[in-house]
Amino acid sequence: MLTLESLSAHVGDFRIREISLEVRDREYFIIIGPTGAGKTVLLETIAGIHQPDAGRMLLDGTDITALEPRLRNIGMVYQDYMLFPHLTVEKNIAFGLRQKGIAVQERRAAVNETSRVLGISHLLGRYPETLSGGEQQRAALARALVMEPRVLLLDEPMSALDSGTRARISRELLAICKETQTTVIQITHHFEEVHALADRIAIMQDGMIVQSGTPSDVFLHPANVFAAEFLCIGNQIPGMAVPEGRLARVGTGGQSFYAVSDIAGPVIATLHPEDIIVSREPFVSSARNCLPGTVTELVPAGSTVRVILDAGFLLTAVLTRESCRDLALEQGSRVYATFKASAVHLIAAAHENQG
Amino acid sequence: MRRISLALTALIFCIISGTLLCLVLYSPLPVLLASLANPEIHFAIMLSLVTGIASTAICIAVAVPVAYALARYTFPGKRIATLVLTLPLTLPPLVAGIALLLFFGSTPWGKALESAGFAVIFTPLGIVVAQVFVNLPYMIRIMRSSFAAISPRYEHVAKTLGCTDTGAFLQVALPMARPGILAGTVITWSKAMGEFGAVLMLAGVTMMRTETLPIALYLNISTGDVDLAVAAATILIAISLAALCAVEYLDRDVHVV
Repeated sequence: MLTLESLSAHVGDFRIREISLEVRDREYFIIIGPTGAGKTVLLETIAGIHQPDAGRMLLDGTDITALEPRLRNIGMVYQDYMLFPHLTVEKNIAFGLRQKGIAVQERRAAVNETSRVLGISHLLGRYPETLSGGEQQRAALARALVMEPRVLLLDEPMSALDSGTRARISRELLAICKETQTTVIQITHHFEEVHALADRIAIMQDGMIVQSGTPSDVFLHPANVFAAEFLCIGNQIPGMAVPEGRLARVGTGGQSFYAVSDIAGPVIATLHPEDIIVSREPFVSSARNCLPGTVTELVPAGSTVRVILDAGFLLTAVLTRESCRDLALEQGSRVYATFKASAVHLIAAAHENQG
Repeated sequence: MRRISLALTALIFCIISGTLLCLVLYSPLPVLLASLANPEIHFAIMLSLVTGIASTAICIAVAVPVAYALARYTFPGKRIATLVLTLPLTLPPLVAGIALLLFFGSTPWGKALESAGFAVIFTPLGIVVAQVFVNLPYMIRIMRSSFAAISPRYEHVAKTLGCTDTGAFLQVALPMARPGILAGTVITWSKAMGEFGAVLMLAGVTMMRTETLPIALYLNISTGDVDLAVAAATILIAISLAALCAVEYLDRDVHVV
């Protein structure tokens, strides 16, 4: 288990502040955050490249804060892979084993085994510049994995790949890490990767972790408006919550709707656009909320259309192009927006001032 | 515009190549060959080669770690250090030469070095010192931009794979900087072969003692022996041409200077 205790560090203008995290063995842990949040600084500090200004790092209970990177056995794969251009793929992968003084025979066996797992055995004699992006990534992974690192750090490893390749490589990466029982900390800003890979995630903002937990926890219950916005939860509705039985009634813009929550007072209600059903007639269902509204805008986005509704406050829903056509939606159409009380998540607005 | 610029290009090409060709073709070929076989020219070639190689080797040995420090580390006074380390680039070599002469000739430190056997004034050793002083900044600049162009992340990865700081430098940064080192070596060496001003001041112009190729050119033209001067000049032109071709060739990989 890797434990970070109030870790602070800075490199130039980038800094991380008071980071506390626990990453369990064999866990796939993803850190997401916008550019400039300090994600790479955090990974490099864990790797030992930068000395922290304050705080501690423990690996399986041993304090490694002052340990040189070469003695940590923490592997690192950067976004641009950083394969040594003057060495063949084989020598790149064997690089770490050579530093350890492992005999040629053993080295060769380990390199062959790892490149077989990653499917790059046929590339061993090539130089990195002759490889495609995906091949370079595998070679870089092989170079790190052959060391059997206790923790593998991945700095946006997919960002240089096109989205089709990314999905496929994500699956393979996950399979490889599970097979080799490697603990992984990955940073990314792609949400597909979060859902496809992560056991747990942390959201980083301005050098701090604002929330961590399982992906469904974090997506369903964003800790603050930044998290909600960053996770692209489409609707954030400020309002006033009043408890009503086991629900909370949120009043805003002369309208009100229900949420499953025991929070009272000023709140930000968050609601995924996917959770809103749009219909021409009031929709009969178990959903607690059914609000009349007017379509103010239709924004096509690929195979879907984002429907902006005025229901006393602005709501964004997502429909397929087909249902949009079936409902004959256009600007000014009178519609009903239906959503479950359990789909609404309330964030106490006071948190925003403290955070 | 097209016609004017092309015509001007052609004109300048003709002026440069014409002037140099006039020089090379000044002596009839047999005379040129005889001059090249002259013992004085032989001595000058050998002395230039030896001092040029020695000063270039020293420049590499010093410039590589210094350039690495300038490219990789932050330290107090880095800006002023960079400025001073590369100042001789724009300093006239004659000024560098007189500064060296005064340092070695009239300061207690210079005198101490001389009595310790490190005599540089009017000696071949002085040639090496003058060449190093003038050429080191070029090597530092070329190496600094070479190292700066290499992402430090390569070395970070090397360290996570078991390298010490020094190991990462030797096994990753240095091999990756190879094109820069080669280009810098060629430039430094060819400049050393042609260095005149600083050498003149510190090592003097003593025939068959501190007589490098440019000094031989100068000595012979002042004594009216134009054929020998032309021979020395021809060799210097050949060296310049070869160096330029080498740098152009190496520069395909890395853009120096």
